[in-house]
Amino acid sequence: MEDKILNYTETKEDELRRVRAALLNILEDTEDARKEAVREKNKTMAIIENLTDGILLLNNKNEVEIISPLVVDFFRKTEDEIVGKNFIDLFDSEELKQFKELIIDTEKRKVNPVIGREISIGKRMDIEVSTVFLGEGPEEGSVLVVLHDVTRDKLVERMKTEFVSIAAHQLRTPLSAIKWTLRMVLDGDTGEVNEEQRELLEKTYVSNDRMISLINDLLNVSRIEEGRFLYKQELVNLEDLVSIIVDSSQELLKMKKMELTVDKPEKPLSQVSVDREKMELVIQNLLENAVKYTPEGGKIDISISGDDKNIIFKIKDTGVGIPDDQHDRIFTKFFRGDNVIRMETEGSGLGLYTTRNIIDAHKGKIWFDSKEGEGTTFIFTIPVPII
Amino acid sequence: MFKKILIVEDDKFLRELMSKKLITLGYEVVSAADGESGLVMIKETKPDVVLLDLILPGINGFEVLEKAKQDPEIANIPVVILSNLGQGEDIEKGLALGAKDFLVKAHFTPQEIVNKLKSILG
Repeated sequence: MEDKILNYTETKEDELRRVRAALLNILEDTEDARKEAVREKNKTMAIIENLTDGILLLNNKNEVEIISPLVVDFFRKTEDEIVGKNFIDLFDSEELKQFKELIIDTEKRKVNPVIGREISIGKRMDIEVSTVFLGEGPEEGSVLVVLHDVTRDKLVERMKTEFVSIAAHQLRTPLSAIKWTLRMVLDGDTGEVNEEQRELLEKTYVSNDRMISLINDLLNVSRIEEGRFLYKQELVNLEDLVSIIVDSSQELLKMKKMELTVDKPEKPLSQVSVDREKMELVIQNLLENAVKYTPEGGKIDISISGDDKNIIFKIKDTGVGIPDDQHDRIFTKFFRGDNVIRMETEGSGLGLYTTRNIIDAHKGKIWFDSKEGEGTTFIFTIPVPII
Repeated sequence: MFKKILIVEDDKFLRELMSKKLITLGYEVVSAADGESGLVMIKETKPDVVLLDLILPGINGFEVLEKAKQDPEIANIPVVILSNLGQGEDIEKGLALGAKDFLVKAHFTPQEIVNKLKSILG
């Protein structure tokens, strides 16, 4: 009996020892796992702390779980004022209202999908905002709000366009002086000019005028980039604008012995709402290009048509065409085709860039069809306003 | 009686060129190099027409125009803006303030400017 009890006790002790060892083992594993988790957390926090972007992590109830230190700088709030709070209850100040509306739909209590939208915080900062929805798993429903500081980029951009604009205005004054002087000398206001002098001065005058129009192009480009390009839109018949430009280009056409036909319907087309001056610039640019890049004796056909949705303008020339490999760069700033550079024609590379921007601003479309050596057709459409 | 033209222009050379052109054609020319003296000259010399630049030291051309139009003594003297500004909103603003015409310097020759003045002087 005693033996039995002893045996039993020994077995139990043995068992307990084994259980203890197993428990210790598990405890050790847990400890390792905990250490690993802490390490991971530290790693993540270190990454977040040192990010050059602002980050807010929202859980599926829209509560802010983690923020990066830059968020504190951006919003001028302490960490305690943000972390643990529901996003819906935050950022109600005048300065941050716009940001909040962009991120969250307060009625549906849902975060909006946002990709790289620029907004201003008051007048002091520009940030680019994105929301990233975290996928399946325990984090499902969490959202990362990423804020990228673009204040400096915007400032540089503004300074650049301002510089171009001021420089261009400043350049116009001495160029006016040159223009006026040359014209007065050529008009004989300062006495007789001999033939040779006249010829030289005429060429200088044309050169100077080219410089003035280059500056006008630069001014237009800087206005496009400032985003305040379209001025006043009014209802016009596009065919009237075409007539004006065609009439004023007769001299040029005669000089190059070119034939121009204009095909338009007998009945007036629907009116379109355009910035008249800019739209004239578009037609002028396209016509000038057609003349410039078509050899003497060539032909240009303009047609205007339309339905109740769009007015369609086409201009077809029998010119040198655009090389195939350069089709996709034709509307970019300062681009000029290889073939036309070889021809030693004048051009700033700004005409089609400006043209495309004007058409875009009117919500129209522009494209072309061209074969090198055969000719080019440019087509643009302007939507007819819905009444 | 020769018509009298006041040129308000801060660039000395442009002022001289324009004066020369007008004097050659038999006009009487007076000139000012900044906004304040321009305004004083309008009152003192009562020209038949004013050629007004916009970017001027001190008060700018828009302000000169606005003040001139508020002064009943000189409000009816026609003013032609001759500037190197020339964007839509500048032109609109100038005309709204009562300018007779808006000419961009770099786009006109002296003769073309004179022709505009002639048509205003009648």
